[in-house]
Amino acid sequence: MSESAFTREEAIGRLNELYAEEIEAALRYLHLAVTLKGLDRLMIRKVLLDNLEETMEHAQLVGEKIVQMGAAPTLKIQLNLPPERGNGADALRTALVVERAALDAYRELLERVEGGGDVVLEEFARAQVALESQHVSELELLLED
Amino acid sequence: MHDWREYDQNPVSHSAAHHLVAIAELFDEYGYARVSDVARLLGITRGSVSVTLKGLKGKGLVTEDDRRFLGLSDEGERIARGVMAKKQVLKGLFMDLLGVSEEQADLDTCKIEHLVSDETAARVGRALLFLRSGSENATRFIEGLREFGRQGDAEGFPSEEVQELAREIARETEEPEGSR
Repeated sequence: MSESAFTREEAIGRLNELYAEEIEAALRYLHLAVTLKGLDRLMIRKVLLDNLEETMEHAQLVGEKIVQMGAAPTLKIQLNLPPERGNGADALRTALVVERAALDAYRELLERVEGGGDVVLEEFARAQVALESQHVSELELLLED
Repeated sequence: MHDWREYDQNPVSHSAAHHLVAIAELFDEYGYARVSDVARLLGITRGSVSVTLKGLKGKGLVTEDDRRFLGLSDEGERIARGVMAKKQVLKGLFMDLLGVSEEQADLDTCKIEHLVSDETAARVGRALLFLRSGSENATRFIEGLREFGRQGDAEGFPSEEVQELAREIARETEEPEGSR
C-alpha cells in the first residue's frame, strides 16, 4: 500500500489483476444473462450479452498489453455463482457493482502510472477509464427510477 | 448423527467470514480498508469483493463512507473478532499439541474457524492455556502425546494412516471395558 516507484513488475501485476477482473466480469455477464427471469429476458439479456462481448474485448486488450510488455498473462479467478435466477434490475445492479470495481481498478492504475514516463501504458489506462466510466453511466441510467 | 445441516445455520458463509476478517485485519494493520486492499489480501478480484460486500452491507455488517473506505458495524466487528479468536486458539492447539506446521495449521483452521461453536472454541482455549502453563502435568502430557504419535504420511485423501487410526479408535471404543 506504499506509494513507491512504479516498476515494470508492478505494472504487469496490476495488469494481471485487471485481466482477471475483466474475464471474471465477462463470466458474470454470461451467468446473469442466462439466469434472467420473465419478460426482462427480452430487453435486459441483450444489454448483458453486449456488455459480455465488450468485457471480453477489454480482457483481450489487457492480455495483449501484458504480452507487449514482454510477459505472459496469469489468470487467477475464483468464481462461485449460486444456482439462482433473478430479474433484470437485480442483474443490472450486480453488473453496476462489477463495472464500478473495474473502473476503480483502471483509475488506480492511471493514478500510479500518470507522469511516470510510460506514455503508452498511461494512455491505455486513460482510455480504459473512459470506456469503463461510460459503462457505469449507461448502467446507472438504466437503473434510474 | 449427521449434523451437516448446521453449516447452513451460520450467521455468515465461509467467504463472507473471510471478507469480514480481512477488513478487521486491514484496520488493525493500516487503520483503513478499501475494496482493493481486501481483494489483494484475499487474492481475488475487486469485482468479487464488491459483490460479496454488497450482500454484507445489505445485512448491516459492513459500512462504506463517502470516500469509499470500508468499516464494520458492531455486529460485523463481533463476528470478525469471533472468527479471529477461534482461529487463534485452534491454530495454537494444532501447533502446540499436535505439532502441525504453522502453514498447515493456517490452512486447516481456515476451513473450520467460522464453523466451530463458541463452546468448543472456549474449551480449546482453556486446553491451550493448560498446555502452555508449563506445569509438570502439561509438559508430561505433551511429551507423552508426542512419544505416542507417529509420523504421518498425509498424501492421498484421507491418508492410509488416518484411516488406520480411525479403525483403531473404533475398535478401542467398541471393546468392552473389562477386556482391555
